[in-house]
Amino acid sequence: MATQTSAVEHMHSYAYKLRTSRIGLWLFILSDSFVFAGLLVTRFYLLGGHRPELEQMVGVIVTSVLLISSFFMNRAEVEISRGNRKGFITSTAITMALGIAFLIGVVGVEWQIAPFGPADGAQGAVFYMMTGMHAFHVLTGVVFLGIILRNGLRGHYSPERHWAVEAAANYWHFVDVVWIFYYPALYLIGTL
Amino acid sequence: METSHDQEKKMELRRGVLVFVVLAVLTVIEYFLGTHGAPGIFLWLIALLKAGLVIWFYMHIQRAFREEGGH
Repeated sequence: MATQTSAVEHMHSYAYKLRTSRIGLWLFILSDSFVFAGLLVTRFYLLGGHRPELEQMVGVIVTSVLLISSFFMNRAEVEISRGNRKGFITSTAITMALGIAFLIGVVGVEWQIAPFGPADGAQGAVFYMMTGMHAFHVLTGVVFLGIILRNGLRGHYSPERHWAVEAAANYWHFVDVVWIFYYPALYLIGTL
Repeated sequence: METSHDQEKKMELRRGVLVFVVLAVLTVIEYFLGTHGAPGIFLWLIALLKAGLVIWFYMHIQRAFREEGGH
């Protein structure tokens, strides 16, 4: 009986939940990466050695913005694990702002100046599907960041307990990893 | 008096900066190679290296295999 009670207590402990949540998140990331990998394969299957006609400067700017956002996301996570709530809030807010700037760069600028639309053949289908799916993930990441920012402002996280921050950070970095492959695939590899 | 936890977190902050610098340099190289007609294999290698750095140092994939459940 005592053994059963201690096993139940263990399963309800934060450490146990943290371990299982981490595995769950990584399984989700793995499953989501199959969607992005499928789109990446589609790009090379349909366009081969050709790449869409895109504005190089926009590509390098949005890539830099996302890279910097990953740095601040990492900083936010480290700050909360040090107990520096102010540092966490500042870094999370900067990450959110950079995420929004990325969305403006892709959807508000690149989509508007691209010389083709979503219905203009394989090039349009591939470009808008890849960037659209990725932008949707960035948007959900911004929402997730908004939630942890609000909870952080209310003092819900401590150095010992901040799983939501770790999860949001991992999700954000995953979105960055996807762009690490999408950027060269769309902007750099192949000829016009 | 700084504890080992404090020192570890300080080191993590410094590591974050270093990883960011490496990622930025790799992005510059990637852009240069891509806009100068370099073979795609180099760009794939850079992308793999960048992804590896992010997954290891920013996503801490090694935590998923830890027995103890701490941050």
